[in-house]
Amino acid sequence: MKIIHYFWKQVKEGLADIFVVWRDEFSLVIHDAAILMLFIAAPLLYPVVYSLIYSHEVAREAKMVVVDQCNSPETREFRRMCDATPDIEVVGLCANMQEAQEALRRREAYGIMVFPRNFSSALANKEHAYVQLYSDMSSLLYYKCFLLNLTEVSLKMNKDIQIQDMSNATGREEEIATTPIEYEEVAFFNPKSGFASFLIPGFLMLLIQQTMIIGICALAGSIYDKKQYHVLEPIMRHKRGSFRIIFGKALCYMMFYGLMSAYLLWVIPWMFNLPRMGDPWNIVAFMLPYLAACIFFGMSVSVFIKEKETAYVLIVASSLIFLFISGLSWPAAAVPWYWKALSYFFPSTFGLQGFVKINTMGATIPDLQTEGIGLIVQICVYFLLSTLVYRYRVMKACA
Amino acid sequence: MVMMREWRQIFSRKLYIVSMVILPLFFIGFFLTLMQDGLPKDLPAAVVDMDQSSVSRRLVRQLDAFKQTKIVAHAKDFSEARKMMQRGEIYGIYYLPENFERDVLSFRQPKVSFYTSNSFIVAGSMLFRDMKTISILGSAAVERELRLAKGQTMEQAMIDLQPIVVETHPLGNPQLNYAVYLCNVLLPGLLSVMIVLLTVYALGVEVKEMRSRKLLDMVDDDILSVMVGKLLPYTLTFMLMATFYDVVLYRFMGFPCHNGLPNMLLNSLLLVLASQSLGVFLYSLVPIMSISLSLSAFITMLSFSISGFTFPVGEMPGLLQTWANVFPLRHYFLIYANNGLNGYSSYYVWGSYVAMLLYLFLPILVSIRLRNVYRYDTYKP
Repeated sequence: MKIIHYFWKQVKEGLADIFVVWRDEFSLVIHDAAILMLFIAAPLLYPVVYSLIYSHEVAREAKMVVVDQCNSPETREFRRMCDATPDIEVVGLCANMQEAQEALRRREAYGIMVFPRNFSSALANKEHAYVQLYSDMSSLLYYKCFLLNLTEVSLKMNKDIQIQDMSNATGREEEIATTPIEYEEVAFFNPKSGFASFLIPGFLMLLIQQTMIIGICALAGSIYDKKQYHVLEPIMRHKRGSFRIIFGKALCYMMFYGLMSAYLLWVIPWMFNLPRMGDPWNIVAFMLPYLAACIFFGMSVSVFIKEKETAYVLIVASSLIFLFISGLSWPAAAVPWYWKALSYFFPSTFGLQGFVKINTMGATIPDLQTEGIGLIVQICVYFLLSTLVYRYRVMKACA
Repeated sequence: MVMMREWRQIFSRKLYIVSMVILPLFFIGFFLTLMQDGLPKDLPAAVVDMDQSSVSRRLVRQLDAFKQTKIVAHAKDFSEARKMMQRGEIYGIYYLPENFERDVLSFRQPKVSFYTSNSFIVAGSMLFRDMKTISILGSAAVERELRLAKGQTMEQAMIDLQPIVVETHPLGNPQLNYAVYLCNVLLPGLLSVMIVLLTVYALGVEVKEMRSRKLLDMVDDDILSVMVGKLLPYTLTFMLMATFYDVVLYRFMGFPCHNGLPNMLLNSLLLVLASQSLGVFLYSLVPIMSISLSLSAFITMLSFSISGFTFPVGEMPGLLQTWANVFPLRHYFLIYANNGLNGYSSYYVWGSYVAMLLYLFLPILVSIRLRNVYRYDTYKP
């Protein structure tokens, strides 16, 4: 009986402590404009701006000029077919190469297509006829448009030429003789190869982690700066006091980010028509550990932050490192092993991969073993680390 | 005098050294080692070979021989391969149907299929290119055999196969090196992030530690000499880092820099100064440090996307195209692409040079406000 009574008392006291910490942290957050900017304004507005930037998804009508030294029916046909593709727009005919290069310099066009004088005579004489493509490389996207579409057009014209050459064969025979093997290409998960569909889901996960870490570090830094850690001392002196402090604070952050995640992962993809293959419950089940890992990670990192403002200076730029190391902007298979090893320390690596798999590729929780185990290990490690951090800071403040 | 005082502060705090020297060194080390191969290679793909014939196996071997494709698995059927893709183990699937060899040899026109995962667009599009090439080549190889069998010479067969050849000349970056494409803007961009943030911090910390009034008294209320004296040490240090970046990128790594290193150094100097001016402007606008730091963070991080070096500005909605001009990194990118990558005359980007110089007026514009802040404001957290 006594044991039950004792246990009950402990639970009551624990919950009361957690509540006090939660309430204090909550009031700290809502009275701090800078933190509200991080926790609410940034997640509300930033994804909208980013989605707008990439809203056209792909480059369309990349501008190109043509230097046609041959000007024959064949070259005109080739030009017309290029212009007819949705990706290329022929904006002008130039008399010579100098004129075309000038158009590139003035950024009126990003590519030059050149037909040499002997283009048609080469075709007639059964020699290779060359089309030269010059592309400005300041945008890889335009280069890709030119390359893919010119190749496509040349394949088509080549086939027509071969069929003309075999004038005595029947239609079906021609078809088979020019293409003995047919092929079919399918782009999974993001059929338009769109930039927004590819970048935004990962970006949202990164945004959650980054605003959260900066916010948590700024809060911790400002308490440290104002020398107010001793306020937590009475709770710390309780049994498992540091657990209660961590839980209380984590609960507060979880509340904000639970709401924001619903907006980020549900409203934003709906607003901008991004891939939404994931089952909502799977997303919820994945987000809870991700948010927890981010929170405890942030609390652990906060040991380095002694001032509210330094949180920004030191952490903001790391976003790009996380973006590249997580395998979104740079294929994970091409990340060197040492950076890959480092990447396992960050929740964003697993969060980003996992969310893209659920949201864009329709994976379910059982498919996400690596990510799930990774996040759970991170939660455990960072939870223990953060209790140590807070115990260290509170005790130091009281000493 | 103000400058000496600032140097003393810089050396008294670890934060300055970390954010001006250590982090920038880490950034360049990170990105250059990450992209050391220039192009990602050996991207994992799976093959579903339902035929298992010598023709199909030869095609698969040829696909595996491409530098960027690595066949990591032979799946027994398509759904197994698809599961692998969903788990993120592979970015592409190449499917060869049953009776492939028989159908090829008997002219029944078999159909191969390839599937790429575009949720990771870089890897997906690279595999797409290799798989498409091998499909066309495979078709061409069969056709070539046919034509040779008909008594054509090899040369004539090749010409008949491909009468029109597209030859590409990627200007300035012939190897399509991703490091060239990304690092030359990413790294200066990261430096610019640090500059803006640190400028705001260095200005704000005076008010926070209640030293700003004394500082103004020291120079008889002359806010311009406060600005110059305070910011010059950062200009020098960051310019030193930018010079280091430029030397590593354009001398050591040999990235394209057609108009010479001094030309790029000028561009870097303009970026450093413009970023500092932006910092001064943002702090004076909202003299509450944590809020102006938040603003700086949003603006500088946005500049990576809106400067248009990955997704072209011309493809963004009209309003954003206009706003892109407000970001220093946009002009840095235009000047770099024009001068460094393409080697055109600076004349073609005179507008961007003017824009960079316009930033230098921002601090003058807000100087009176900054003086009042320094004179009367107290620290708000």
